[in-house]
Amino acid sequence: MKIVVFIQQIVSTQVKLQGVDYFDASRVSDDDLVINPTGKNAIEGALKLKDSQGAEVTAVCVRGIKPNKALKEAIAMGCTNAIEIADEAFYTDDPYLLSKIYAKALDKIGDYDLILLGVEEQSSSSYAAPAMLAEMLNIPSVLTAEEMEIIDSGFRIGHVLEGGKKIVEVPQKALVSCSDSQYFIPRYTTMRGILAAKKAVIPVWSAADLGLETSEVNADAASLKQISLTNIVIEKETFLINEGEPEEMVDKLLAKLKEDEIKLGA
Amino acid sequence: MKTLVFIQIRDDKIEENTLGILNKIKTTIKGAEIIGALLGKDLKDEWIQELGLHGVQQVVTVTSPELEVYLSATYTKVMMEIINQVNPRFVVAAGTVYGEDLIPRLAVRSNTSCAQRFVDFMVEGDNIHFHTPVRDDQAMKITQVVGDIAFATSRPGAFFVDENPSGTNPEVTSVSVTFDDADRLVKHIEIKKAERTVNLKDAKVIVAAGRGVAGKENFQIIRELADLLGGQIGATRACTDVHWVEETYEIGQTGQSVSPDLYIAAGISGAPQHMSGVKAKTLIVINTDEGAPIINYADYAIIGDMHTILPILKEKLK
Repeated sequence: MKIVVFIQQIVSTQVKLQGVDYFDASRVSDDDLVINPTGKNAIEGALKLKDSQGAEVTAVCVRGIKPNKALKEAIAMGCTNAIEIADEAFYTDDPYLLSKIYAKALDKIGDYDLILLGVEEQSSSSYAAPAMLAEMLNIPSVLTAEEMEIIDSGFRIGHVLEGGKKIVEVPQKALVSCSDSQYFIPRYTTMRGILAAKKAVIPVWSAADLGLETSEVNADAASLKQISLTNIVIEKETFLINEGEPEEMVDKLLAKLKEDEIKLGA
Repeated sequence: MKTLVFIQIRDDKIEENTLGILNKIKTTIKGAEIIGALLGKDLKDEWIQELGLHGVQQVVTVTSPELEVYLSATYTKVMMEIINQVNPRFVVAAGTVYGEDLIPRLAVRSNTSCAQRFVDFMVEGDNIHFHTPVRDDQAMKITQVVGDIAFATSRPGAFFVDENPSGTNPEVTSVSVTFDDADRLVKHIEIKKAERTVNLKDAKVIVAAGRGVAGKENFQIIRELADLLGGQIGATRACTDVHWVEETYEIGQTGQSVSPDLYIAAGISGAPQHMSGVKAKTLIVINTDEGAPIINYADYAIIGDMHTILPILKEKLK
């Protein structure tokens, strides 16, 4: 089975915004650059299938400051191959353009049985790429999967639904987006994987390599335009207790609640 | 502005976020022409009346046995047919699991993109500016979909339902669509409804835990504290997913919505999917991570390990 996993590299959301300098790449250390969390869930989904059925898992990263780092981690987790897709012209804040790049990458990769992606790219809160890509490829898809198993006709997948869970079946050659359910909790990298990652030479494909004109995928081509991005200043004041022994912390909390006349209990 | 709203039905009723969007459109878009797309196997007259009451002027109905359950292929096909007939300027759905599945597909078929999970929008001339919180709600991004048609989904919980709607009966038209084998590649097997045996809606006190609880046995302290405070327990989907606690206690977008006087959140990071279901007067957070998004919502926060803090809190409250 050939599986392609699309991951994205984001600046960890643990790194807090500090005014407008946030997007200054020089302020971001390598440790802050992580695979989007649900992208990691998607890698886990692929590796579970690799473990049970045998599969060639190719990780592909388009978005990120240093995609190579994300892809090395993917290999260290157990992915077979990795491809970096990078071009200065790319504007990937528009999920439509991002999906277009994904689709072209798949054309170049050729054969595949399953495409996995994370439910969302957490840093821009963008969730639309999986559905858009499935639509562009015109292949069956299931979004926000929580568990999956192989059946004769393809895959049986349970996905998130308000008020429960929905079970569907899809044929092979499908696209699935993975949630952060227990089933997809990512594994750690292994020593063997880390060694493989060290040795791995990861090819870099440009827009031209994919047969894309830069004018098709640059900011001018975007149909989702960003007008502004501003920090959210939270006006809520939090009474924060972040030092002291546990017992002192609890005492401090209870004293403050009493002072504020907050009643504990129904 | 001609606005097409994807109407979602859940538990035999019009889904709340959909009503919330209708309220938002009514109050934000002057002279909006609101058209509702209502798809299903059997459609009820009372839904159509309710849509009218909430400001929908025209309801386009599509009925078919194949529309009993949402499936991407059938619903996308029908919605495209409606879009082609109605020619709207703005197409919007509540960002539920189905809404988030549908809107990007419609956008692609219309050769454009979509705005996602907006918590507000404004009309600027002939354009709509969408406000979407990003990076765990650290920043607000304002976007615009360029072109003749704009697609978008709202963030669940973002808008209130009009409590005193006063619209009139809408015009009803219907569209018929036929399906073929290509629309049936994804096969619906079943919907496993979570059992909602405990109603958390009226609970005054809720002690809730997230993934940080790290095990079924650790829910004991959550229960003890809830009992002591005369409240209920609650959990994130991460906990119900692995059966650490019964699924009835799930709070959030895919679980129950709650509005207690006091919400104690232990080991919960505060993802929007959970927080959209929580409207508490007082929120106390216990979390090891000072950077967790939930701290932003907290009135009181202890940065510490819930497994240590909660037993002490329980003893002190006895």
